[in-house]
Amino acid sequence: MRKFFPVEELARDSRFSQINMRQAQADPRSGLVNETVGKRPKTNRLTPDRADASDAARSLMHGIFVGEIQALEGAGRTCHDFETGSGQSTDTVPFALKLDMARQAWDEARHVEISVKLSDWMGSEIGQYAENTVLFEVACSNDPVLRLAGVNRALEGLAIDVFTTMKEFGDLAGDPYLEFCEDWMLADEVTHVKMGSDWLRRITEHDPERRKKALEFQSVVDKIFSFGGTRSDSTESPIGLARRFRELAGFTDTEVEQIAEVSLAALEDRKAFATASLQATDG
Amino acid sequence: MSTTVAPQTFRFVKFDAALTARVADGLVVALGIDRPVCIEIDETTPLARLRADIGDTITIYAESGALEDSKRPREQSETATAINLGRILLRTRDRLLGGFGGAPPDDQLALRQMAAWETYTVGRLARLGLTINQQRWRYNFRNRHGFTDAADAAFDELWSAGGLTWGELEAISSAV
Repeated sequence: MRKFFPVEELARDSRFSQINMRQAQADPRSGLVNETVGKRPKTNRLTPDRADASDAARSLMHGIFVGEIQALEGAGRTCHDFETGSGQSTDTVPFALKLDMARQAWDEARHVEISVKLSDWMGSEIGQYAENTVLFEVACSNDPVLRLAGVNRALEGLAIDVFTTMKEFGDLAGDPYLEFCEDWMLADEVTHVKMGSDWLRRITEHDPERRKKALEFQSVVDKIFSFGGTRSDSTESPIGLARRFRELAGFTDTEVEQIAEVSLAALEDRKAFATASLQATDG
Repeated sequence: MSTTVAPQTFRFVKFDAALTARVADGLVVALGIDRPVCIEIDETTPLARLRADIGDTITIYAESGALEDSKRPREQSETATAINLGRILLRTRDRLLGGFGGAPPDDQLALRQMAAWETYTVGRLARLGLTINQQRWRYNFRNRHGFTDAADAAFDELWSAGGLTWGELEAISSAV
C-alpha cells in the first residue's frame, strides 16, 4: 500500500468540491478592506443573535465535517507511513504512538458520522460547501513529530476552539443535539491534543533541535489554522480562543498567549492580503 | 417588462448579469409582480443580505453571497439566485398586495418575525417548483422559536399556508 499520500489524490466523490488555502484567501471579499468597513456588523462572533446565525452555523458544521474526514485520513496515514521503532529517527514511530493514532482515527470516524447527522439536522447536504484541504496538507510532513505538532497540537487545538464555539451556540439556541454532540466531540479533541503534546515531549526528550523545529512548525500551522483570523480573541473573528479547554489539553499559559498573538496577526495579514488582491484585480 | 441588473460586469466575483436578469424575469412572471425590477449587486462583500425598496420600480439590493455557489466560491449559482431573489420578491409582493400593512419595515423585523415570514415565503416557493431544502428552513425557524413540537407545528402551518395576512402570520409565530 502506498505511503505518503498527496493531498491532490484524496478520495472524494462528485459531491465534493475542493479548494486550497491560497484560493480561499485570494477572495478579495474576505478581508475587511476599506470599501466595506462601514457595512459590516460590529462583531463577527458566531452567536444565535446574528441575523445569519442559522446559515453561518450550517456552514461551520460542514467545515467541521470535512475537517474530521481529513483528520481521520491524517491519523490513519501516520499509523501506516512510518515503520515501528524507537521514534528517534524520522522514519520510525513507537508502536504505542501508532496505537494512539489508531484510537484517534477511530474517534475521528465517529466524529464524521456525528457531523453528517448534525448537518442533516441543520439542513445541509454533504458537499454543499467547498472543502478546504489545508488540514490534510499539514498531515503530510515526512517527520512524524512535525505531524504531531501540526495536526494534534495545532489542528486539534483549533478543533477545541471550534467545538467550544458551536457548543455555546447550541446551548444559547436551545438546540439539544448540537450542544450535546459538540460537548462529547470536544472531550475527544482535548485528548487528541494531550496525546500530541505527550508524544512530542517524549520523542524529542534528547533531541532539542528536533523539538525546536517541531514547535516552530506548530507556530506556522497555528497561523494557518487561524484561517486568516477566523479564530482569535478579536470579536472580528467568528470563532473565539477556548482558553480553558486549551489549558485542560495541556497548553501552558505562555503557549496560549502565543497562539492568541499569532491569531491576531493572521487576522491583520488577511486584511492586508485581501487589500493586495483587490489592488491586483484593479491593476 | 425586463429586469435590469447592475453592475453588468464584475471584478470581485464571476457572476453573469444576463443570467441574473433571466432568472429574475422568470420570477417576476411566476409571482405576478406588476412593476419593473432593478437588481443592484454588492460584489464587495461575501455576505448574503437582501433588501428591497418599493416604488414605481422595485429595487433589490443583493450582497454577492446571496447569489453565490457555496461549493465554488465567487461563482454564481442559478439555484441560489432563484431562491434568494424569489424570497425577497415574494415578501415584496406580500407588501404590495395588502394584508401586510402592519408589518414593520424589513430592517425593523425581529429575528422571530423574519423567520416566520421566511418560512411562509419559502414554503410557497417550494410549491412553485423551486428546489428547496425544507430542513434548512425548519432549523432556522427552530433557532428563533425553540426546538419543540409546538414550534414544529407552527412551522408546518406556515410552510403550507397561502393567503395569510401579517396579523395571521404573526399570530401563528407568537403562539409558540
